[in-house]
Formats: sequence, C-alpha cells, structure tokens
Amino acid sequence: MQDSRQIVLDRIRSSLKTSVLPMARASISPREAAPSSDYAAMSQSFQRDMETVGAKIHRPANDFAAVDLVVDLIQELGSNEILAWDDAELPLAGLPYALHKAGIRRADHRIPNDDIGRKQKLAALSALRVGLTGASAGLADTGSLAVISSPTRPRLASLLPMTHISLLPINRLYPTMAAFFAAHPGVMQDASNLVFISGPSRTADIEMTLTVGVHGPKYIHVVLCP
Amino acid sequence: MSNVTFYDRVEDALNNEQLKVALTRTTSKLGGLRINALASLPDADGVRDRARLIRAHTISKLADYLEQFAANVEKMGGHVHFADDAADANRIVLELAKQYDIKTVVKGKSMVSEEMHLNHEFEEMGITVWESDLGERIVQEAGEMPSHIIAPAIHYTREQAGDLLHDKLKIPLSHDPAVIVGHVREKLRQEFLVADMGITGVNFGVAETGTLALVENEGNGRLTSTVPRVHIALMGIERIVPTLDDLSIMLQVLARSATGQKLSVYTNLLTGPRRKSQTTGETDGPDALHVVIVDNGRSKVLGTELAEILYCIRCGACLNACPVYQQIGGHAYGSVYPGPVGAVLTPGLRGIGPWAELPHASSLCGACKEVCPVRIDIPRMLLKLREEGHEKGLAPAWVKMGLPMYRFVATQPALFKFVIKASGFGVRMLAKIQGNGGWLNKLPPPLSGWTEHRDFPPFAAKSFSEQFKNRK
Ligand code: SF4
Repeated sequence: MQDSRQIVLDRIRSSLKTSVLPMARASISPREAAPSSDYAAMSQSFQRDMETVGAKIHRPANDFAAVDLVVDLIQELGSNEILAWDDAELPLAGLPYALHKAGIRRADHRIPNDDIGRKQKLAALSALRVGLTGASAGLADTGSLAVISSPTRPRLASLLPMTHISLLPINRLYPTMAAFFAAHPGVMQDASNLVFISGPSRTADIEMTLTVGVHGPKYIHVVLCP
Repeated sequence: MSNVTFYDRVEDALNNEQLKVALTRTTSKLGGLRINALASLPDADGVRDRARLIRAHTISKLADYLEQFAANVEKMGGHVHFADDAADANRIVLELAKQYDIKTVVKGKSMVSEEMHLNHEFEEMGITVWESDLGERIVQEAGEMPSHIIAPAIHYTREQAGDLLHDKLKIPLSHDPAVIVGHVREKLRQEFLVADMGITGVNFGVAETGTLALVENEGNGRLTSTVPRVHIALMGIERIVPTLDDLSIMLQVLARSATGQKLSVYTNLLTGPRRKSQTTGETDGPDALHVVIVDNGRSKVLGTELAEILYCIRCGACLNACPVYQQIGGHAYGSVYPGPVGAVLTPGLRGIGPWAELPHASSLCGACKEVCPVRIDIPRMLLKLREEGHEKGLAPAWVKMGLPMYRFVATQPALFKFVIKASGFGVRMLAKIQGNGGWLNKLPPPLSGWTEHRDFPPFAAKSFSEQFKNRK
C-alpha cells in the first residue's frame, strides 16, 4: 500500500521554514530523575493516593501473612478459578502452593489462533471474577502500579475480572514515573504493554457523577509485600 | 455544515435551559478540580514551563521526530501509515478492514476519527462500529457530535442518558449513573469480546521508543487495544514527544488539567503488537498494530502564525475556563474541536472562509491562556484570525453593524486606548455595583446588543493592545 509519508514529511519541512514557534529551543537540557530509598515515605504516599481513589491497600507483616491474606481474599469472593500470572511472576514464594492447597485453580490463559476458539476462550476468561498479578513497580507520587506484559504475564489478568489483586514488594516503589523510567531504560523493548494503573476503572461521563467499575476492575487490592 | 448559522446555534444553545445547567455544573466542577490537582504538583509552574519547552522543541523538529518514531514503531513490529488528509486516512483504514476481513469494530475515543467521520465511512461499508467510551457511546447512539474534548456527553442529564441507553442498547431503564454503568459494562463487554478490530486515538507517540501512550479512565481503551486481533491507532502528526522522560512531564500536567486527577486510571504504553515467537510468545494483545499518522491540514497550520496551536495536548481546560463556552457549550461551535482551542484550530485547519465567526466567539479575557498547561497564547492567535477575517471581508455581522463606533475608534490608536482604559475602569466599577463576580450581565448602550446573550468580562489589568505591544 503506497502512502503519503514523503508528501507529509516534505510539507512539514517546508512549513517549518516560516513557522512562528514561541519558546522553541534547539535542544532541552536533560534532567536527573532523583531516585529514593525512603520506602517508608514512598509507601505512605502510595497508599494515601491509592486509597483516595477507592483502592484497598493491605500491609501484611510478613510473607506468610501475605499468602494467607491473598488466599482469604479469593475465597471470600467465592472463586475457585482465577485469571493469574504464572508462578514465577508472583513475587510471593509460598503462594502457588497455598492456592493449590486451597483448591483454587489458575485458568490457562493461552488463546487459540482460530476465530471460534479464540472467541470462546475470551468469553471463558471474561467470566472469571478475580485477576492476580505482580506489579513491576509502584509510583509513590501518583499512587500507581506499573503492570508489564510478557508471555507469562497476560494483560487480561488486570483487565477482564471485576476484582484485581496485585502483589507489590515494597522495594519496587519509585518516587516518580520519571525515576522508574530512568531505572529501566530498556523496558519498552521487552514488552508490548506497560500500563500504569491508578485505581479502579471509572467514569464521570454522566453528569460528572463519579462511578466505578466501568470496563475494567471495580475492586483493586494491592498487597504491599514487606 | 448545514445552512444553520453559527448565530442560530448560539441562539439555540442560549435558549436551552437544561444545557445551561449541565454546562455550569460541569465546567465549574472541572475547573475546581484542576486547581486542586495542580496544587498537588510540586513546582507546577516549573513543570508547565518545561512542558511548553518540550512541545515547542518537538514541533520545531517535527519531521525528524516523526521519522524516528515511525522507524521505532516498525522496528518493534508495528506498521506505520501517513495520511495526507481525512479522505486518505479513511482509505487506509478501510483498506486495512478489507485486508483483515473485519466485520465489527470497537472504538476508543479518538478526536482524529471525528475529523475523518470514520464511523460514517464504516457504516457505508456495512461494518458495525461500537463506540466504547461511555460519553462517546451516548452521543453515537443519539446521532450527535461530542460537545467537549474530554467529556463528550457533557450536555446530557442522567435522565436523558438513562432513557437513551435503555432505548438504544435495550438495557434496563434506570436514571442512577451507577446502575446504568453496570448494565453498560455487561452489554459492551460482549462487544469487546467479539470485535475483530480495535481503533483508538493516541495521546503521545514517543519517538525514542516507538511507544504509543493512551490515557483513559474507563478501561475501554485498554480493552480496545488488547482484545481484538488488529489494533489501529489514529494520531495527528503533532502528537509526538521525544523521550520517555518528556512523556512523564506531559503526563504530570495532562490529567491534572483535564479531570483534576494526578494521573488517569490507565496510562497505556503500547510498543508494537503482541510479542510472538515459535515457542513462547505473549498470550494476549493484538496480532497486528497499525499506526495511522494523519496530517489533514496540520502541516499547513505549521507554516503560519498559528503554529503554536499545535503545542496543544487536548486537555480541555481552556473549554472549562472560557466564559463563552460556559454559555453556549460545544455544539454551537459547529466544529469537531470546540472552545478556545477549536476557535483557533478549526479556521487554521479548514480555512477561515466558513469559520470566520469562530475567532469572535471569545471575549479575549485571557482565561484560556491562563489555564493552558502548555501556556498557549490563544488570544494572540484569535486576534490574528480576526484580522485575517477582516482583510477578507468576512467579519461577522454584529461586528459590522452592531458596533459602527468600533471601527471609528479602533482606527485611531490614541482614542482606542483611551476608550479601552476608560471602559475598563467603567466596567470594573459597574461590576462592583452589580456584583456578579466581576462579570456584567448588561452593558449600557451602545454595547447592550453585545451583552444581550453574554456576560461582559472584567478587563484584564493590562489591556490587549498593551500586552500586544509588550510582546513585540
Ligand atoms: S489549548 Fe491548552 S488548555 Fe486548551 S485543550 Fe489545548 S492544551 Fe488544553
């Protein structure tokens, strides 16, 4: 398919000769995005912002308590099958075994290539009520989770179910998005999707009335793992 | 455009009591949220200054950054198409639909697709299009245009929205937004799961990585760009930032200015389609990603004194702050982009001819420039366009007839300045007496014709000609 690439680029270049562009500089000096190791302050700020938008933050005292908490949450919701990331991606060593012992199955998230199989699989995954993921990072200044896709980290786990439970080790907190990017320079090459999630899915499209649970999860549980 | 004139639409809007209520509620609420959100940003002014520098620098090297961006999208396995105008963009999208044998399309919010009238084109081809943003869906079902950049159904009451969705989507009737949203979720989920193609807009394209940034609150953008086999992203040529760090700066001001959030609920960063490999590949995400980069008049604007409008990041703050928008709403402008940004962009993109009134749909109070996260000098460009309109004999009727004095005074600089200063003083005095937050409902004759339907703003401490002179 031929397209208009050269036409458009040429026209831009010729227009730039007569442009009036206030404040245009030849270059902008790069910034240093300050890192931080004050995890107490960052987790406080993260928690405050997440709670402001209606997410629930859990702070278990240790890994054992964290495992129990996640299993309890899932059982309270009455789910025996969940849409979860693969074992190695859950930053809580004892969790896969505990889920198994509690009789909670993990759905196979591979999607068939043929159209009918594909749509059936999507419908089946969409019926699951709980998604379980591990966050690659938390942003302290906005209260956001960084959730990154991979073959063993399906995007749909944080998207289709009504409840999203995400495990975030406290040492994965960053003060700002800029600091996270600075610490992970190659992050965009490795995954097709990085999403910063800042609370439950919401809309204010009807009379500016804030309503949660539109198309994504209505309930967000972040388990801050020590 | 039909033969309904700008004045007819303004007249209609001003007589629509319910619209007035909806607009007042929404614009004042969004305006307040914005102020609080900016207060939560350390050094908000510094961040805005840097955001402005980034936009200015990027636009000044736009062709180079576009080439870098396109090369990186392609390196990551995506396809890039450039479209000269709306017709070209439609041709590209429709050919892709044919190529992938598409029957159904689900759409996220995209202003570029409004420029293209894409939904109409699809319908002509017998392809079903589902808008998935709630506000966008409401206006689609009603057969209308969005009336606000970020809140498309701002002009609807909950009763109207509930009735419409009940009627069109066959969901149970309710006037409670929470209940309506629950039913819409179930109904639209079925559409997401079967749609063959997802179409979204793009907030920023990151040149150094080939990443598309798409911000949204509902999750409809995530579903649209994740579930269907093919994802098509439509972006204007100016939507580029050079680096991820630049992106983080723009995101610090975008949501705060738009909805008063620190960050939107979902900031989707999409780099190429689903990663595939023989043995292990990503199990979800689209098989194919096509980015369509649309010019449609923008490169022409770039060559003029209106180029600064291309810094715009479509936050909508200038709409909420504009006393004219607050009175007449988005539809009265008659263009895809309403409000102050639209009053510059539309005549810029489409030519002043049919749009000569738009630059006059402003009191030049400067509120738009004040709230703009990248400090775009909209009043300067409105004046420029008015000048151009006058030169071409396109001045709106009220300027020609309603203010015969205006020309006499305006052509004599000394007198003009005196009158502006004197009336500025007078207006402020009157405002004190009438007590309407500095806004006047009625001006004394001969200006009363002008205020019949609008409040007269208090004059800025520095008049426009003074500001104009200082800048030169
Ligand atoms: S002109 Fe400025 S305030 Fe208006 S939409 Fe664009 S960025 Fe926002």
